Amino acid sequence: MTHETITLSVTRFDPGQNNRPRLQGYEVPYRDDWVVLDALNWIKSHLDGSVTYRWSCRMGICGSCGMNVNGQPKLGCSAFLREYFPEPVVVEPMANFPIIRDLVVDMSSFMEKLRWVKPWIIRDETAVGPGEHRQTPAQVDQYRQFSMCINCMLCYSACPVIPIEPEFVGPAAIALARRYQLDSRDRGGQERLGTLTGSDAIWDCSFVGECSAVCPKGVDPAKAIQQTKFESTLGMLLPWGGQ
Amino acid sequence: MSPMSSRDAGSQARLDGEARATAADGVSARIPTRTVQRRIAYPVKQPFTWWTRRRGYLLYMLRELTAVGIAAWMLLFLVEIARARQGAGGYEPLGGPLFVAISLVCLALALWHSLTFLSLAGLFMRIPLGDRTVPPRLIGRAMFGALGVVTVVIASLLIWGGA
Repeated sequence: MTHETITLSVTRFDPGQNNRPRLQGYEVPYRDDWVVLDALNWIKSHLDGSVTYRWSCRMGICGSCGMNVNGQPKLGCSAFLREYFPEPVVVEPMANFPIIRDLVVDMSSFMEKLRWVKPWIIRDETAVGPGEHRQTPAQVDQYRQFSMCINCMLCYSACPVIPIEPEFVGPAAIALARRYQLDSRDRGGQERLGTLTGSDAIWDCSFVGECSAVCPKGVDPAKAIQQTKFESTLGMLLPWGGQ
Repeated sequence: MSPMSSRDAGSQARLDGEARATAADGVSARIPTRTVQRRIAYPVKQPFTWWTRRRGYLLYMLRELTAVGIAAWMLLFLVEIARARQGAGGYEPLGGPLFVAISLVCLALALWHSLTFLSLAGLFMRIPLGDRTVPPRLIGRAMFGALGVVTVVIASLLIWGGA
């Protein structure tokens, strides 16, 4: 059994008590198979039950435990302590979101933006018909990677445009919109494209590309945004609308 | 519709900043409370040095700054055109080691800008090909090929056309 420890400096903020967030250090046992989320859970169980953070699945599926680890947007359940040991680890809430408490951020703006791009299949029919909407593997491949988004919002934490343009729809929402744009079953392409090419959408993106670099699921939101820019430009320039 | 459970009512109260109580007839009634705090989120600002925090940010800033060098050389070029319009007599084209050095730096910046842009062409250009799309790598190579062809054509026009 190891007696090595590692220091976690965790952002603490209680809106009822503090004017601004501060860092608080905790010594936790070091285990090379532990992730930052394990260390936070250990702190909560053994040192300080008031430390507040979101988490659920512990396996990179639910997207709840997004946080900044040593300044980099990561899922707490995927950031292994061995990547930082023996140096201390600074755990902060995701950047570019207001902090509600400790590591918990206010994600209501993201939920609004997500709804705005209509990330669902739009059909002409008013009722679902009998049978299946069949797709070939090639048709599924067109949108598969964009459908992997777990709404963890790490891409918003990495996007330097968000703090300058808070209304910017942002990477994940546009990637999800793109997922439905490329779905052969969808009929809402023009409707959604109108939203995406309007204000606070694709043209706010200056193509820094870090949204794609930090995505834990390999989704490429920068690609989704640039493809939409290219297609909307073709739509304006070509007589057949770039189709 | 079933009446709101006490647990749901408590959650809603925390969100709303006020408590709800369910009357015996199932109708929700709002009651004041002293125990629930209004949620106050702390707004976080982006520091001025944000671009130093990740290598990708720094490369992005360098890529964007190349436009400054290109714009500076274009301004210089416009000034030259204005000077040349006054007639051949007395016109002396810019030259010397300083001008050559500035031009080389600007050329390097322009090439860096072009190469980064063209290398990403395969990312943003989606060209349907039946059920599939043209591979991004092929699009990138086609872009670099086109750059080479256009460069050779313009260079030929300048060299032999000028002569």
